[in-house]
Amino acid sequence: MNKELLSSELLKIKRKGFWLLTVLGPFGVVALQMMNYAYRKEYLLKQSTNDWEYYILNVSGFTPFALVLGMVILTSFLTSIENETNTWKKLISLPVSKASVYITKFTLLASLLFLSSVLLMLFTLLYGIFLDFNGEILHVTLFQYSFYPYFASLPVLALQLWISTVSKNQAVPITIGVIGVILVLTNSYSPFPDWIIWKWPSLMNQWDKPIINVVLGIIVGCLIYIVGMLDFIRRDVK
Amino acid sequence: MEYVVETKNLTKQFGEQKAVSSLNVTIPRGEIYGFLGPNGSGKTTTIRMLLGLMKPTSGTIHVFHKDLKKDRIHILKRIGSLVENPSYYPHLTAYENLEVWRKILGVPKEKIHEVLQIVQLSEVTNKKVKGFSLGMKQRLGIAASLLNDPELLILDEPTNGLDPSGIIEIRNLMKQLASESGMTILISSHLLSEVEQIATRVGIISKGKMLFQDSMDKLRELSKPNIALRISDAKKALRFIVSKGIEADYRDDHIFIPNHSDEDVAELVQQLVYHNFLIYRVEGKKRSLEDIFLQITQEERLV
Ligand SMILES: Nc1ncnc2c1ncn2[C@@H]1O[C@H](COP(=O)(O)OP(=O)(O)OP(=O)(O)O)[C@@H](O)[C@H]1O
Ligand SMILES: [Mg+2]
Repeated sequence: MNKELLSSELLKIKRKGFWLLTVLGPFGVVALQMMNYAYRKEYLLKQSTNDWEYYILNVSGFTPFALVLGMVILTSFLTSIENETNTWKKLISLPVSKASVYITKFTLLASLLFLSSVLLMLFTLLYGIFLDFNGEILHVTLFQYSFYPYFASLPVLALQLWISTVSKNQAVPITIGVIGVILVLTNSYSPFPDWIIWKWPSLMNQWDKPIINVVLGIIVGCLIYIVGMLDFIRRDVK
Repeated sequence: MEYVVETKNLTKQFGEQKAVSSLNVTIPRGEIYGFLGPNGSGKTTTIRMLLGLMKPTSGTIHVFHKDLKKDRIHILKRIGSLVENPSYYPHLTAYENLEVWRKILGVPKEKIHEVLQIVQLSEVTNKKVKGFSLGMKQRLGIAASLLNDPELLILDEPTNGLDPSGIIEIRNLMKQLASESGMTILISSHLLSEVEQIATRVGIISKGKMLFQDSMDKLRELSKPNIALRISDAKKALRFIVSKGIEADYRDDHIFIPNHSDEDVAELVQQLVYHNFLIYRVEGKKRSLEDIFLQITQEERLV
């Protein structure tokens, strides 16, 4: 990847609402708990002995959904910028490798979503402090529930980017994206088998070790990324 | 001869259909190459392959004496291009659009104002491209292709959507670029008249095959006057003329024969009269280049 390509990508996403979405996602997740705690704080505090832990778990209930939805929307927005007047053909006829174009798009999306995760941690922390719980702030738990879902959902991001860049018809990536979001939602009611990548952001697995989802997310995310990039390189430009 | 572009047996197959078939395109340095062919003849497909956007099914492409397969990025640094409809980001201004490409090309920012000036879009530098007319978008595309001072300019139907004065402007710009900066230019079109005045070399393709490739002057030679005869019982007369060993063909109510000396024509007329054909007209007819182009692409014969 090169710096110039990334800075030209940043210019392209101007006025397209990318930054707004990046902030709105994590804000929405915490805002749900703002409402929750505003209406029934007393009741919620009685539910557990560890207020911070209970609060962070409540927040994290919506993180996988918001994250995967964000991946679907941002990826679709980003590729639609090139599809609109087919700028792919102009972009690829410039002296850049197709690999670097692909990696730049992935890096941009991954960075925006990482920023969302940082903001999620920040918003969670700030509102938690505002709620003025008894007991210590659980820094480690907060960190885990802010960043583990991110790494665990990288395969979804890699898959969405792959499908969006090679599909002639954008209904395909959007359909798969919507199905993915529905899977994430239903998973919280009746968990899927561990091999389904849309389960991973929930950090659930049969061993009860969230770190497994993180490691798997990074490895499988890289694999899907590589396969997607090779496919993108192999194909003729739209 | 030094060729800036040289393809050998370039072929592209989509399923069963050969969109481009064993094409040998040769473009010498400094020439304006008019790449002509009717709709669907394979011009865009060829251009896409020249730019590395599509991989040939078979055959080779050399640009600047380098193999496109191996040196794609080095080659593309020296090329400016515009393929089919202009590509632009509607939500960005003209300046921002060029800035997106400029960053990747790594040329100084001043180039943006320079190329906008060339295509006369300076006044709308900071306007969003969304509101541009088709002609303005096309000119923005041309501006983008000039950002890196290319040695080879590849333009696929660049006058699409331009009004007559716009077409003349682009034509003059091409001429100027070729003469002042020695640029080699490939310009595709489905109308010969569009490149007739600027092209120094032409390639005519139809159904993916090259039917004619030579200098513009050679093509002009083909348009030398013919002799048209209007005769009673034309079919029989045609057979008679051909039997005399004279090349002839029948079109639009006339029998056409190549230009011959006065004596030969007089002799033929005499013979025809002698054999009781009634001769209504004997005229010298100059064929327009467009006629020749049509004839070449319709008959698909090698000239
Ligand atoms: N991606 C593709 N898949 C399948 N067939 C294609 C593809 N691209 C082009 N073709 C076919 O190849 C043939 C040549 O198309 P091409 O676009 O190269 O023609 P053209 O000379 O540029 O025509 P025009 O003057 O209309 O622009 C057409 O029959 C077209 O249908
Ligand atoms: Mg075309």
